[in-house]
Amino acid sequence: MADIILHIAGGLIFLSITCGVVRLVIGRTVVDRVVAIDMLTVISISLIALYAHISGRFVYIDVALVYGLLSFLAVLAIARFLERRS
Amino acid sequence: MLELLVILVCAGILASGVLAVCLSNLLAAMISAGLASLFAAVSYVLLAAPDVAMAEAAIGSGLATLIFLYTIRRTGGGREL
Repeated sequence: MADIILHIAGGLIFLSITCGVVRLVIGRTVVDRVVAIDMLTVISISLIALYAHISGRFVYIDVALVYGLLSFLAVLAIARFLERRS
Repeated sequence: MLELLVILVCAGILASGVLAVCLSNLLAAMISAGLASLFAAVSYVLLAAPDVAMAEAAIGSGLATLIFLYTIRRTGGGREL
Protein backbone atom coordinates (compact mmCIF):
# COMPACT_ATOMS: atom_id res chain seq x y z
CA MET A 1 0.00 0.00 0.00
CA ALA A 2 2.70 2.47 1.00
CA ASP A 3 4.68 1.46 -2.06
CA ILE A 4 1.77 2.38 -4.33
CA ILE A 5 1.45 5.77 -2.62
CA LEU A 6 5.17 6.45 -3.09
CA HIS A 7 4.90 5.56 -6.77
CA ILE A 8 1.92 7.89 -7.18
CA ALA A 9 3.87 10.68 -5.45
CA GLY A 10 6.81 10.11 -7.80
CA GLY A 11 4.52 10.30 -10.81
CA LEU A 12 2.91 13.51 -9.59
CA ILE A 13 6.33 15.09 -8.96
CA PHE A 14 7.39 14.07 -12.47
CA LEU A 15 4.27 15.64 -13.98
CA SER A 16 4.56 18.87 -12.01
CA ILE A 17 8.27 19.35 -12.82
CA THR A 18 7.37 18.99 -16.50
CA CYS A 19 4.55 21.53 -16.22
CA GLY A 20 6.75 23.98 -14.30
CA VAL A 21 9.59 23.81 -16.83
CA VAL A 22 7.10 24.32 -19.70
CA ARG A 23 5.70 27.38 -17.91
CA LEU A 24 9.23 28.70 -17.38
CA VAL A 25 10.14 28.26 -21.05
CA ILE A 26 6.89 29.78 -22.39
CA GLY A 27 6.50 32.45 -19.68
CA ARG A 28 5.56 35.76 -21.25
CA THR A 29 6.40 38.07 -18.36
CA VAL A 30 9.01 37.98 -15.61
CA VAL A 31 6.32 37.46 -12.98
CA ASP A 32 5.25 34.20 -14.66
CA ARG A 33 8.81 32.95 -14.43
CA VAL A 34 9.16 33.98 -10.78
CA VAL A 35 6.00 32.07 -9.89
CA ALA A 36 7.24 29.09 -11.93
CA ILE A 37 10.58 29.01 -10.10
CA ASP A 38 8.81 29.28 -6.75
CA MET A 39 6.61 26.32 -7.67
CA LEU A 40 9.62 24.31 -8.85
CA THR A 41 11.36 25.01 -5.54
CA VAL A 42 8.46 23.56 -3.58
CA ILE A 43 8.40 20.55 -5.91
CA SER A 44 12.16 20.05 -5.43
CA ILE A 45 11.75 20.15 -1.64
CA SER A 46 9.07 17.48 -1.86
CA LEU A 47 11.29 15.43 -4.19
CA ILE A 48 14.16 15.60 -1.69
CA ALA A 49 11.83 14.58 1.15
CA LEU A 50 10.46 11.68 -0.91
CA TYR A 51 13.98 10.51 -1.70
CA ALA A 52 14.94 10.78 1.99
CA HIS A 53 12.04 8.46 2.81
CA ILE A 54 12.83 6.01 0.01
CA SER A 55 16.55 5.75 0.72
CA GLY A 56 16.10 5.82 4.51
CA ARG A 57 18.78 8.48 5.08
CA PHE A 58 17.27 11.30 7.06
CA VAL A 59 20.29 13.59 6.56
CA TYR A 60 18.61 14.68 3.34
CA ILE A 61 15.80 16.36 5.26
CA ASP A 62 18.35 19.00 6.41
CA VAL A 63 19.08 19.83 2.77
CA ALA A 64 15.37 20.36 2.15
CA LEU A 65 15.18 22.62 5.21
CA VAL A 66 18.12 24.82 4.15
CA TYR A 67 16.71 24.87 0.65
CA GLY A 68 13.30 26.11 1.73
CA LEU A 69 14.75 28.93 3.82
CA LEU A 70 17.12 30.17 1.09
CA SER A 71 14.66 29.96 -1.80
CA PHE A 72 12.14 31.92 0.26
CA LEU A 73 14.73 34.69 0.72
CA ALA A 74 15.61 34.72 -2.99
CA VAL A 75 11.98 34.94 -4.14
CA LEU A 76 11.32 37.67 -1.56
CA ALA A 77 14.27 39.72 -2.86
CA ILE A 78 13.10 39.34 -6.47
CA ALA A 79 9.55 40.38 -5.53
CA ARG A 80 10.84 43.45 -3.71
CA PHE A 81 12.95 44.36 -6.72
CA LEU A 82 9.94 44.03 -9.05
CA GLU A 83 7.78 46.14 -6.75
CA ARG A 84 10.37 48.91 -6.58
CA ARG A 85 10.83 48.93 -10.34
CA SER A 86 7.16 49.20 -11.30
CA MET B 1 11.31 5.48 -11.24
CA LEU B 2 14.27 7.18 -9.59
CA GLU B 3 16.32 6.97 -12.79
CA LEU B 4 13.50 8.70 -14.64
CA LEU B 5 13.48 11.50 -12.06
CA VAL B 6 17.28 11.90 -12.35
CA ILE B 7 16.97 12.15 -16.14
CA LEU B 8 14.18 14.71 -15.78
CA VAL B 9 16.21 16.82 -13.34
CA CYS B 10 19.22 16.73 -15.68
CA ALA B 11 16.97 17.79 -18.58
CA GLY B 12 15.78 20.64 -16.38
CA ILE B 13 19.39 21.75 -15.79
CA LEU B 14 19.99 21.69 -19.54
CA ALA B 15 16.78 23.59 -20.42
CA SER B 16 17.28 26.31 -17.83
CA GLY B 17 20.95 26.73 -18.79
CA VAL B 18 20.06 27.22 -22.46
CA LEU B 19 17.28 29.59 -21.41
CA ALA B 20 19.69 31.62 -19.24
CA VAL B 21 21.98 32.10 -22.24
CA CYS B 22 19.23 32.82 -24.79
CA LEU B 23 16.92 35.19 -22.90
CA SER B 24 17.37 38.90 -23.58
CA ASN B 25 15.68 40.12 -20.40
CA LEU B 26 18.34 40.24 -17.69
CA LEU B 27 16.01 39.47 -14.81
CA ALA B 28 14.51 36.43 -16.54
CA ALA B 29 17.99 35.15 -17.42
CA MET B 30 19.04 35.52 -13.77
CA ILE B 31 15.97 33.57 -12.64
CA SER B 32 16.81 30.81 -15.14
CA ALA B 33 20.38 30.62 -13.84
CA GLY B 34 19.00 30.26 -10.31
CA LEU B 35 16.78 27.44 -11.52
CA ALA B 36 19.80 25.67 -13.04
CA SER B 37 21.56 25.68 -9.67
CA LEU B 38 18.30 24.56 -7.97
CA PHE B 39 18.11 21.48 -10.19
CA ALA B 40 21.85 20.90 -9.71
CA ALA B 41 21.31 20.79 -5.94
CA VAL B 42 18.48 18.27 -6.37
CA SER B 43 20.65 16.10 -8.59
CA TYR B 44 23.46 16.22 -5.98
CA VAL B 45 21.00 14.91 -3.40
CA LEU B 46 19.90 12.15 -5.76
CA LEU B 47 23.57 11.25 -6.32
CA ALA B 48 24.04 10.85 -2.52
CA ALA B 49 26.06 14.01 -1.74
CA PRO B 50 23.92 16.01 0.72
CA ASP B 51 26.68 18.36 1.93
CA VAL B 52 27.55 19.42 -1.62
CA ALA B 53 23.85 19.96 -2.25
CA MET B 54 23.59 22.16 0.83
CA ALA B 55 26.54 24.29 -0.33
CA GLU B 56 25.07 24.53 -3.83
CA ALA B 57 21.69 25.60 -2.46
CA ALA B 58 23.26 28.22 -0.19
CA ILE B 59 25.69 29.70 -2.71
CA GLY B 60 24.26 29.00 -6.16
CA SER B 61 20.59 29.52 -5.53
CA GLY B 62 20.67 31.97 -2.62
CA LEU B 63 23.78 34.11 -2.64
CA ALA B 64 24.41 34.29 -6.40
CA THR B 65 20.81 35.30 -7.12
CA LEU B 66 20.96 38.08 -4.52
CA ILE B 67 24.30 39.36 -5.83
CA PHE B 68 23.03 39.32 -9.42
CA LEU B 69 19.92 41.20 -8.31
CA TYR B 70 22.02 43.84 -6.53
CA THR B 71 24.25 44.20 -9.59
CA ILE B 72 21.30 44.59 -11.98
CA ARG B 73 19.80 47.24 -9.71
CA ARG B 74 23.06 49.18 -9.46
CA THR B 75 23.99 49.06 -13.15
CA GLY B 76 21.11 48.83 -15.62
CA GLY B 77 18.00 48.77 -13.51
CA GLY B 78 16.94 45.53 -15.22
CA ARG B 79 16.71 47.12 -18.65
CA GLU B 80 18.08 45.34 -21.68
CA LEU B 81 21.69 46.33 -22.21
